[in-house]
Amino acid sequence: MTVASAPAGTASNLPGPLDDALRKDLYRQMVLIRTFEEAILKDYHADKAPVWDIGAGLVPGEMHLAAGQEPVAAGVCAHLTADDAVTATHRPHHLAIAHGMDLRRLAAEIFGRETGLGRGRGGHMHLFDPTTHFSCSGIIAEGYPPALGQAFAFRRRGTDRIAVAVTGEGAANQGGFHESLNLAALWKLPVVFVVEDNDWGISVPRSASTAVPSNADRAAAYGMPGERVEDNSVEAVYEAAGRAVARARAGLGPSLLEVHTLRLWGHFEGDAQGYRSDLEGVPGRDPIPTYEHSLLEAGLLDDTSVSSIRAEAAARVQDAVTFAKQSPVPDPAQATSYAFA
Amino acid sequence: MTVTQNEVTGTTSTRRLTTAKAMAEGISQEMERDPDVFYIGEDVGAYGGIFSSTTGLLERFGPERIIDTPISETAFIGLATGAAVEGMRPIAELMFVDFFGVCFDQIYNHMAKIHFESGGNVRVPMVLTTAVGGGYSDGAQHSQCLWATFAHMPGMKIVVPSTPYDAKGLMISAIRDDNPVVYMFHKGVMGLPWMAKNARATDVVPEGPYTVPIGQARTARAGRDVTVVTLSLSVHHALDVADRLAADGVMDAEVIDLRSLVPLDREAILESVARTGRLVVVDEDYLSYGLSGEVVATVTDHDPSMLRAPVARVAIPDVPIPYAHGLEAAVLPNAGRIEAALRRVVGGG
Amino acid sequence: MTDVVFPALAASDPSAEGVVATWFVRDGEHVAAEQLMAEVQVDKVSMEVPAPAAGTVHLLVAEEAVVPQGTVIARIE
Repeated sequence: MTVASAPAGTASNLPGPLDDALRKDLYRQMVLIRTFEEAILKDYHADKAPVWDIGAGLVPGEMHLAAGQEPVAAGVCAHLTADDAVTATHRPHHLAIAHGMDLRRLAAEIFGRETGLGRGRGGHMHLFDPTTHFSCSGIIAEGYPPALGQAFAFRRRGTDRIAVAVTGEGAANQGGFHESLNLAALWKLPVVFVVEDNDWGISVPRSASTAVPSNADRAAAYGMPGERVEDNSVEAVYEAAGRAVARARAGLGPSLLEVHTLRLWGHFEGDAQGYRSDLEGVPGRDPIPTYEHSLLEAGLLDDTSVSSIRAEAAARVQDAVTFAKQSPVPDPAQATSYAFA
Repeated sequence: MTVTQNEVTGTTSTRRLTTAKAMAEGISQEMERDPDVFYIGEDVGAYGGIFSSTTGLLERFGPERIIDTPISETAFIGLATGAAVEGMRPIAELMFVDFFGVCFDQIYNHMAKIHFESGGNVRVPMVLTTAVGGGYSDGAQHSQCLWATFAHMPGMKIVVPSTPYDAKGLMISAIRDDNPVVYMFHKGVMGLPWMAKNARATDVVPEGPYTVPIGQARTARAGRDVTVVTLSLSVHHALDVADRLAADGVMDAEVIDLRSLVPLDREAILESVARTGRLVVVDEDYLSYGLSGEVVATVTDHDPSMLRAPVARVAIPDVPIPYAHGLEAAVLPNAGRIEAALRRVVGGG
Repeated sequence: MTDVVFPALAASDPSAEGVVATWFVRDGEHVAAEQLMAEVQVDKVSMEVPAPAAGTVHLLVAEEAVVPQGTVIARIE
């Protein structure tokens, strides 16, 4: 079965040129994400002392923060509108923010409040936002198949909307990954598959998990183009993503984009990372100071604008976190609600 | 609350269908009514479904709506989930329930949980059809029922029709329901010409669309002496046994066809046992940690003194289902075992 | 009076035998034209037999009895 191509002339978001305005937007987006993740980091750990208890505090449970992976989110989501779908993993915040999710509802869900996206039922790994068609899953690689379904529905309705399915390099060895690539290519579904290669599947380095040097090489095995961005550069991601998004919108089918990115912190918060042999070099690879530096050099930013962008991000994040902290916790008597519509 | 089928049918038509044809007719009528309904699975197109669930549908609706897939259950059941999230109404077929191992994550962690995890903001209006059951020597990996495993996981409704009438009505209800509904059809009730003949697999089915409520059991046979709670093909066996025992003057058994497992019609169970005081559960799933225990607990949680005798559970013992015919027949909840259980519970002997 | 004939499923072997696997109507019942009357089977291939006319049905062949293709299996009056 092949799915009909989108009608010509309906592409609503052709990739734009990488101009100065866009560069500053990309920087601004990455700063916002980092500011948010730093705020969650702080609140997550604050009340788990003196003895660290994962279930204690305002933000209980596991926490997987995306610091270092901002270029993927900013570079890919710049090509999307709220009508496009994004499915993410257990490490979803950067993509949620870049895709335009309401910061207050995001924060409230992370803090488990009734005002959260899922009324506190889902938590940080299970964020669902129908207004931006965003979803994520704690089961690795399993966000790929539903993305196929969203793409299927978009095409069936004659639109040029697409689904972006994001997972990690570790997930590229899970069955669902391979099934999804084959089926999307077979049916020419408007999907962009993104693999965030942050070198580590929890504690297992890529060299110990994956038989090929690049998942972009696997794309050919599934009948689709594959590209790998090696240097975690938001501009390189933007350009590669632009090609993949354009293909999908034009009805030419899926593509695979792998980005060699950086997990700045642990797999989860509380991860001592004793296994991690590359720790020393990590701070130097932080993509945000690198990009900031290049924009300063190019004269697109100066100290004033950097300060003001950071201050704006801080204000937005503080507003969101304050909203979350002031929101009511869900009523335990309603714990069994929402199983069924 | 239970209803008897005769009351509901209320038709003078003699148009009969097998359960398989009734299921396909339900799908067809909903597909005519709603362009967002489509059917996706392995061999559901030209083949018409391995157990005839979609016979005739490809010719009527074409390959855009009756869709054959690669052997990729995780991918296509996940695809159905995503399409449902976007407001379509997919029906995805898991060819044999026994295959759930290769794709259960998409079913119980995604299809069944997205509505809850989203605080009710996202709906998943899909149907997951699957063939269950044994009795024809298909071996341990192709003969299971496993409904207890699915019913145990929260967030998905489960229906198990035993008759052509219910097969069509429950299919239409399942498609119209905004929740994920697992529709489990026993191969032995489908009326397939290549399986052992089953007279109860063919019956009158109204021609137009109609619904059977999900979560409501049916009194298949009213009786005084004992309540038999059962489902699927076991309803047929229980009725055969009950009719014969009544004709022989031995006892008058009431047979309750559960029809739905989630929601479970606990009221129907309690109402009947309150009258008869005796309970036999017949369940083609494994004995321990499953449906039959749940039915018993329904009674004992409420009032154990309702029971005048210990309960009998006729189920598959806790072993993989054997291949050789005689061995398989020994573990299935067949007429002989049902009769022995009834005599024990009613006669004390 | 209209004959209902066992269709030729095995086109390559006109004398092949098969069975009426399932009668969907009972003797003496009324059928509408095109209503499903029977499912017949030759080897593993099965086919539906719709009523060629409306009327009262007289069944001539039992379920599972082996008959050659082309046999008149019922009449409609």
